[in-house]
Amino acid sequence: MAEVILKNVGKSYGTVVAVRDVNLTIADEEFVVLVGPSGCGKSTTLRMVAGLEEITAGVIAIGGKVVNELPPKDRDIAMVFQNYALYQHMTVRDNLAFGLRNRKVPEAEIDKQIAYAVKMLGIEPLLERRPRQLSGGQQQRVALGRCLVRNPKVFLFDEPLSNLDAQLRSQMRLELKELRKRVPTTSIYVTHDQVEAMTLGDRIVVMKDGLVQQVGSPLDLYRRPANRFVAGFIGSPAMNFIDVKVDATDTQATVAADGLSLSFTGQKAATLRAHAGKTVVMGVRPQHLLLDGADASGLVRFAARLSTSEQLGDQQLLDLRVGGTVVRVSGIDPSLTLAEGTELKLGAVPDNVHFFDAEGGQVLTT
Amino acid sequence: MTLSAIDLDHPPKRRLFGERQRFMLLLIAPAAAALAFFQILPIMTGANASFRDWSLHDPQMTWVGFKHYVYVLTDAGFVWTVMPNTIFFMVISVACSLVFGLALALLLNRNFPGRAVVQTILLLPLMVAPVVAAIMIRWMFNDQFGIVNVVLELVGLPGQPWLAQRWTAFSVILFADIWLWTPWFALLLLAGLQSLPREPFEAAAIDGASHWRVFRYLTVPMLRPVMVVCIVIRAIDAFRTFDIVWTISQGGPARSTELFSIYAYIEAFQAMNFARGSAAAMIGAAVIVVLAMIIFRVLNRWAEVSK
Repeated sequence: MAEVILKNVGKSYGTVVAVRDVNLTIADEEFVVLVGPSGCGKSTTLRMVAGLEEITAGVIAIGGKVVNELPPKDRDIAMVFQNYALYQHMTVRDNLAFGLRNRKVPEAEIDKQIAYAVKMLGIEPLLERRPRQLSGGQQQRVALGRCLVRNPKVFLFDEPLSNLDAQLRSQMRLELKELRKRVPTTSIYVTHDQVEAMTLGDRIVVMKDGLVQQVGSPLDLYRRPANRFVAGFIGSPAMNFIDVKVDATDTQATVAADGLSLSFTGQKAATLRAHAGKTVVMGVRPQHLLLDGADASGLVRFAARLSTSEQLGDQQLLDLRVGGTVVRVSGIDPSLTLAEGTELKLGAVPDNVHFFDAEGGQVLTT
Repeated sequence: MTLSAIDLDHPPKRRLFGERQRFMLLLIAPAAAALAFFQILPIMTGANASFRDWSLHDPQMTWVGFKHYVYVLTDAGFVWTVMPNTIFFMVISVACSLVFGLALALLLNRNFPGRAVVQTILLLPLMVAPVVAAIMIRWMFNDQFGIVNVVLELVGLPGQPWLAQRWTAFSVILFADIWLWTPWFALLLLAGLQSLPREPFEAAAIDGASHWRVFRYLTVPMLRPVMVVCIVIRAIDAFRTFDIVWTISQGGPARSTELFSIYAYIEAFQAMNFARGSAAAMIGAAVIVVLAMIIFRVLNRWAEVSK
């Protein structure tokens, strides 16, 4: 059982910087997900923890021991790779036993560990098969088994589910969650899929261009994104963004764009006042936009014209035009029939409206 | 068009060769013609010759059936010297070049300063004509002027009449062949090594496998298919070796280092008995076909296991 600490960790290839200044403390038994678009440095960070990439700046410690110079085998970690990385010419049993035999564990002990792992993962009947005879999901289980038998301090997952089809992926996601309950081990999980990140992580680290954008619990990230990137990356469908101009008086603040004028009081107004006369970016999630008729008071309201609707069966997604921009609304009653071009009134709870700096994208706070 | 206007019960007959097939045949034709003229025809001529008394002093070309085959197969020299020599040569040459080639490939697969230079130097033998290399090596092992004896005597060891004794001469030939072919193995195995996926090796690094265990349980099994192809190609090729042996020892001393190709050549072009030479060549061809099939079967099973 171990804590993992990353302090000012960086990686550069010559002049190209892949990862910079990552600071992260992962508690014992915590499950942390690194998420971000391709090339954001999440895999590189994981591989530095694994010891597969040299650390060019900063310090990584596992279980209270600095591991910068330690080879992977001495870090007491186990890793699941995206393409499973099974030893194709060995049986499943030998795949599982390989790491233990390398460490000269007695055969009786190996058998015991394998029996434990295969029971946990439900792959007993596959022991004498070779990886190529297995389906993707089965291979992934064997890869997990290879980690389990070793009983390491830390599990590392490098996009383990991205080679599986959508249905199997959600099934394996559940199984991973189940497994986690039974084998609580410190874990770092890399993915580009925000759904995986939200469902699996105790905490999520959002990365972009080698920089950590925000660290927090799934709900934290969803409700209080630190910047425009996190706001757009977390949540599906993605948050709507509209450039608005701020106008403020002593009691209220008004933001305006083509076809839109919203007034805020209280906390929001205080936040906006500091940016009076400037352009900021307003962000509202599609789920947080309510159709006309919602009787709640205190909503900010604006008009929009329907351009397209998408029927999903359980809900409808609407694309609406507000002046020059398109705003997306989700969670609409699927039996509601609306003609294109219909004028609709939209509303939002002021607390669900976010404002970001137009240049840096940082969320505006008082 | 209405449906009734189409005769669905009697679709037009398919032609024997469709447009596509005819085009493909056309493309193959030149190569096929060349193959027929320069490979199949000479082989047929040779086969025909091996059943006749075909020599310059007997222009009758009398049909004699298997006479020459019987002669060759009952020739103690062919059965007890030439064939064992050939197979021994093939096995040792392929085995040694494979081992050395694999070692070189592993070396070149690592990143070290000056790698490109080392690679070029190591691959140099590939660019030398075998006859040139053989002449060079023959002179190195010359018993009076050769550098090898000079060095041996410098360190106080007796010089050897290398090419005047059967096994020393054979060793020199093998040395030349291995020297020539090791880079070929190295090149192909290096290409194989570089095409191996990286992840299993990373998994093994995390799994704590020693260098030896990585080599034994990952590199070799994953490289098996490439090795099989190399071995089969090279074994067939080694079986037919002519130039190096002819240049270094001409099959001597006393025909003791003859391989089957040398035997056939000597019978045909020195004894001027084309028929007997052809028969020897046909027998050799039959042996290598059988051998190659066995080698391929066995090795393929070995490679299958790795898949």
